[in-house]
Amino acid sequence: MSQEILVVAEHLEGALSPVIPELIAKARDLAASSGGGVLTVLLGHDAAPLAESLASFGNEVLYADDPVLGAYTAGGYAQALAGLIERTAPRVVLIAHTSQGYDLAPHLAGSADLPLATNCVDVALSDGVLVATRRMLNDKIQGDFEITSERPYVVTLRSGVTKPAQPAVGGRVTRVHVALDPSKIPTRFLRLDRPAVGDIDLATADVIVAAGRGIQKKENLALIEAFARRIGGVVGASRPLTDLDWLPKTRQVGQSGQTVRPRLYVACGISGAMQHVSGMKDADLIIAVNTDPSAPIFEVAHVGFVANALELLPAVLKELGA
Amino acid sequence: MPLNVVVCLKQIPNPDLQFQVAPGGQDIRRETLSYKTNGADEFALEEAVRIKEKHGGRVLALTVGPKRTEQMLREALAKGADEAVRVAFDEAASFDPGKIARILAAALRTVPHDLVFTGVQSDDMVSSATGGLVAGILGMAHASVVTKVQVADGGLEVSCELEGGLERSYAVRLPALLTIQFGTNQPRYAPLSAIMRAARQPIRELTPSDLGAASWNAFAGSYGFRIRGLTPPAAKGRAEMVAGRVADQAKRLALILRDRGFVRR
Repeated sequence: MSQEILVVAEHLEGALSPVIPELIAKARDLAASSGGGVLTVLLGHDAAPLAESLASFGNEVLYADDPVLGAYTAGGYAQALAGLIERTAPRVVLIAHTSQGYDLAPHLAGSADLPLATNCVDVALSDGVLVATRRMLNDKIQGDFEITSERPYVVTLRSGVTKPAQPAVGGRVTRVHVALDPSKIPTRFLRLDRPAVGDIDLATADVIVAAGRGIQKKENLALIEAFARRIGGVVGASRPLTDLDWLPKTRQVGQSGQTVRPRLYVACGISGAMQHVSGMKDADLIIAVNTDPSAPIFEVAHVGFVANALELLPAVLKELGA
Repeated sequence: MPLNVVVCLKQIPNPDLQFQVAPGGQDIRRETLSYKTNGADEFALEEAVRIKEKHGGRVLALTVGPKRTEQMLREALAKGADEAVRVAFDEAASFDPGKIARILAAALRTVPHDLVFTGVQSDDMVSSATGGLVAGILGMAHASVVTKVQVADGGLEVSCELEGGLERSYAVRLPALLTIQFGTNQPRYAPLSAIMRAARQPIRELTPSDLGAASWNAFAGSYGFRIRGLTPPAAKGRAEMVAGRVADQAKRLALILRDRGFVRR
């Protein structure tokens, strides 16, 4: 039996989530196995231009326009999707592994009793069995898990693991009506706040020297700053340091902070958790300094030094005649 | 408004360790692991205790896991939880968050709960699924990646962190489940007297029959779940590694910086 692959298109303030083309690419692979096509779902209000831009990937877009869907709530989205799932009986529901995606996917799976695999780096269908590939334990262990069900699989896909889909012809927008009961949505959207404008703008920096937990003490930031100054850069940080208030939140590089693309990124004492790497992996040159030779940062770095940054950087400054 | 707050805690292998796949590929080798409380759960516990201190009520620390997790529950008691419950599910390699969520949901049905907290993710499995599943199963209100919780007008106002540091706020009806973000507060240290007291406090244990089931298998979902195999991940692009003494490494790094024009003199 041929079954469709449903892609839930996350969007915010009139823009599609940048990971949607990756989801569509993975959905095309899955559709080849399930014998169906790719359907994208847009839930929103007054979002017709977004529906059109989704259609540029060559798929049918199911567009549900309802004031109740104007702002994302897990309850509203789960209700709408439960209705669309019943109508289209898809094999897989693909959702981005974002703050919103891992809010929605488990809620949907729990409330509609659907099988779930989250934060997958890959996913495939084999004779109706879902094979979910996940990375665990600081990305040091990978696992393949088989989930078997007649019901649609709910999957969230990690960003940056799939080559984005290119636009294609043949897409169209189909407006659909979904029955929604607002009294059953127990959360109400209030507002969206942006982070305060920072002291420096990491996003435009040419050279970033970033510090992580490996620098051990707040006082050691002085060394990082001295090194950054010497090579014409600014100081960034991984999440643990901004959580500790060693540096302002505006200096945080990663999924929940800034996405940067400098000419040079020097990672000092940063292990390279997914949440950090997704914010800096596109730097032109990445130099990593870490005492742990198995740290995942060495997978994205171009040049790696297994060393204590607190020893290596003073030695480099000396070499440079600072 | 006093609230019954349940905080779900998980004990995980310290993710900074090295890991090896056990023979057979169905689990990691566990003989030499050391365990700790999941990072985000520490913030969930602290948030729960702060709500109790401000508004009254009780905090119950709940976990699903083997006997060793009692250590974690005692720490929670010392840091301000009023009681502790351990669901005595002892399956080391439990990779299906759906099963754990069904067990947690069944356990939650046996205790009063206006508010349930979990950490935003466990640092071992990184699924970010258990909290949302529990909320979906129990039909509770739910918000994820929460960095601020205010009790107001018989409900809550919460802020959720999105990518790029954006914050989205919601009014949330009770009962509700929130997954708490890492760094939301400053978790406290337990005073010695509280640690001594917690060492003597009872920890309630729940078995399948306490949850109305014949065995833990009753909590497997309506789907089949099988571990095909665990492997060390294939290294993607690997950095060109510079070995040697620090002085030699420093020479090399200085050379790279000069060659690429990051240092002019």
